[in-house]
Amino acid sequence: MNSSIDIKTENGQAETALELRNITKLYAGTVALDNVSLTVRRGEVHGLIGKNGAGKSTLVGVISGLVIPSSGEILLDGQSYSSLSPITAKRHHVSIVTQEPQVVEESTVAENFFMPLYDGGSGFIDWKALNKKAADILSNAGFPLDPQMKMSDLSISERQLLLVIKACYVERAEVVIMDEVSASLGQRDQQILYGIIKDLTSAGKTIIFISHHTEELLKVCTCVTVIRDGRNVGSVDVAKLDKKSLAALIVGDTNYDDTAIEDRSYMIKDEEAFRLRDFTRAGKFRHISLSVKKGEILGLAGLRGSGRTELFKSVVGIDPYDEGEIYIDGVKKSFSSPAAAGRGGVAYLPEEREAEGLVSIASIQSNLSLGILNKLSNKLGIINQRQESGLADGLIKTLDIKTLSRKQEISQLSGGNKQKVLVGKIMAHAPHVCLLDEPTRGVDIEAKESILTSINKELRSDSCVVITSPGVEDLMKICDRILVIYEGEIISEFDKSEFSEQEIYRAMQGEEVLTYAFED
Amino acid sequence: MRLRTKIELALLNNLVWVLLAAFFIYNAISTPSFFSSRNMVNILYQSSTLGLMVLGQGIVMMVGELDLSMEAIVAFAPGVTILLANKFGIDPVICILLTLIIGTAVGWFNGVCVAKLQTNSFLLTMATQIVMRGLVLFLVPFSIAKLNDTYTFLGRGKVGGIQMAIIAVGIIYIIFELMFRKTSFGRRFLLTGGNKRASFISGVNTDRVMIYAFMLAGLLSAVAGLVTAGRQNAVSNSMGEGLVMMAFAGAILGGCSFNGGKGMPIGMLGGTLLLGMIDNALNLKGVDVNLVSATKGALIFLAILLDRLRFRLTTEIMHRENLRKLQLADAEEARKSGTNTPES
Repeated sequence: MNSSIDIKTENGQAETALELRNITKLYAGTVALDNVSLTVRRGEVHGLIGKNGAGKSTLVGVISGLVIPSSGEILLDGQSYSSLSPITAKRHHVSIVTQEPQVVEESTVAENFFMPLYDGGSGFIDWKALNKKAADILSNAGFPLDPQMKMSDLSISERQLLLVIKACYVERAEVVIMDEVSASLGQRDQQILYGIIKDLTSAGKTIIFISHHTEELLKVCTCVTVIRDGRNVGSVDVAKLDKKSLAALIVGDTNYDDTAIEDRSYMIKDEEAFRLRDFTRAGKFRHISLSVKKGEILGLAGLRGSGRTELFKSVVGIDPYDEGEIYIDGVKKSFSSPAAAGRGGVAYLPEEREAEGLVSIASIQSNLSLGILNKLSNKLGIINQRQESGLADGLIKTLDIKTLSRKQEISQLSGGNKQKVLVGKIMAHAPHVCLLDEPTRGVDIEAKESILTSINKELRSDSCVVITSPGVEDLMKICDRILVIYEGEIISEFDKSEFSEQEIYRAMQGEEVLTYAFED
Repeated sequence: MRLRTKIELALLNNLVWVLLAAFFIYNAISTPSFFSSRNMVNILYQSSTLGLMVLGQGIVMMVGELDLSMEAIVAFAPGVTILLANKFGIDPVICILLTLIIGTAVGWFNGVCVAKLQTNSFLLTMATQIVMRGLVLFLVPFSIAKLNDTYTFLGRGKVGGIQMAIIAVGIIYIIFELMFRKTSFGRRFLLTGGNKRASFISGVNTDRVMIYAFMLAGLLSAVAGLVTAGRQNAVSNSMGEGLVMMAFAGAILGGCSFNGGKGMPIGMLGGTLLLGMIDNALNLKGVDVNLVSATKGALIFLAILLDRLRFRLTTEIMHRENLRKLQLADAEEARKSGTNTPES
């Protein structure tokens, strides 16, 4: 399938900065990394890309010493390790800049730069010299900023950039790992980042650059490694790649199997259940208009931060919205809180299972009935306990939740079963409109199938479903239609007959909309 | 689940009652005049104020907050009421209602500040505690003695030979236990405390639940104030002093946690009785009053340790149960394949 693409084999042209040999990482029930080998040469910008759940973050964890591999070997400067620790990584001048910038907010830029060693070792800190040094570094990096500013006064983008500068120029790392750093950078700061990367590579430093955006990778990197299903699919020179071939590598052969989940599109009725008109929240999403029929499952595909989660939260009244209208069964509605949305027939499954979805120290039963306690109790507010336990037992059976009893605490369940309880909460609601944000996030294949089947069978029977997912293939399995949301706008629509994982994946990247001013 | 596991879990969940039973038996044997009906009633009567405080604190802890101002309400609510009554000659029944309303109102203020303004409950209730205690010291510099009989009935009255306070506290505990167990209103407290954000997203009005929790704590403190004033037939500015720490101790012994989402009135009652019984037994043994106080401090420490131990043991038991299930499944599979292979 990739005849035009050469897969690089070991050729001793350049010195190796970092090498992984046959790294395997097993988690309970899943293989996160399967025999991954990877060679990063000195002086290159090595891109790393893969779909959500492909094993990318585990791989980064192995390199930065946060994840201990089950087997395999890591070679740093010719020395072999079975696992790294943050300290060994640092000793070999490997620095990592993580996705969410970690800074000491109440300290100045200069303090954050030189923490914890400060300077000299005399025991006294020469603040003047320190600030001067920080200012020099900043102006050299093309990011002139007062080093005495407090971190808390800076934007997330500026903090992220400062951490990059710290890793590159203060710690003087030989290998810098940038984990989706550009995702939180503004336009100007991105340009500065690209400048820094150019400067570093000309100085012979090595960069491992992780990003979700294919176009950015192609502009920034010299070589790209694609991870798919925990395997290294290939490390390819950028010169031999274009956006299409890279997307093909990421997605792989689409052997998507539509027999696995029954096509129930015949359940779509000819009446509208849910409509958004010109729905806008400044800075999050704008002019979203969509309409879903009763019995229809609509997929909303988009990268993290594309506005899909924010859209859901504004509909159910967790966050406000600025403009637009919501129609439920043709009636205009507006919800001030999730409680109001629930009464109006809208159920929302949050993306963050632990933080927003479940009360983990309560039992399965109390979690399932949490949203519908009013419906289960009489006028005096006394709960009908027989009805409640019947509901819990029924849902446990329908969703095949593996548990000792309905009274078991949520915290004692596995991730997949927790997620099933979350889906069960929505079912208990019997809503008109289901907004499901990543219901298949972080679960194993078996649980995923069972969740998707339940959504397809039970939830669509008397309501409509809007669903997002970390992987396009999950959406393609059950959706009748997929909308692609990119930077807060719906940019394309796919009908079931037009489903193509590559096409949708490319649309999620924004196609030609993205422009980078990175110059070679 | 096996019977053994069930029993173990039941014992762990009611650890405070196990301790209470053990302590009771020990004292019944070793402490002179402990095991007499008179002393039993005495323990219950002495514990009645603390019982109300523990319940109030426990409810606030269920939703994941804490209330330091409770002990000041014990003096503030009756103090203000009696001053008003002396000035305007208010009917004693109205006085009782007024006391309860003042306590609830203070709780409402605490609750609104915590829920709507998102103030830290420790700092906020510390402030209201100091304000109220200061006001009471100013308004009631000397004890006001000889109160109306109706007003003191809850504290000193008797019904069928038993102190009214014991009966009232008993009824209050039953009502609250039923409320938290059976009603949707009560159920929301533990869920809110367990995960406020998730409860909110699931459609619970979490702000309102928090406000109700503080209001109930205020109400129960005011009842404790009525009992205290009635018992000493006077209102003094020192009523309730130091009680809040004991209320924490009782609530934690009874299964509450500072993280919220845990505890039930039945456990809190156990915690109260354990504290009351220790107090009583040490007094009967003739232990110095200050040593009694130190012992109670040690007991709070023990309660915290027990809470961790209980968590560990529960996890351990559940893990063992899961392991056993897996082994059973394996054995089943082995048996099946054992019978299948010869056939195929």
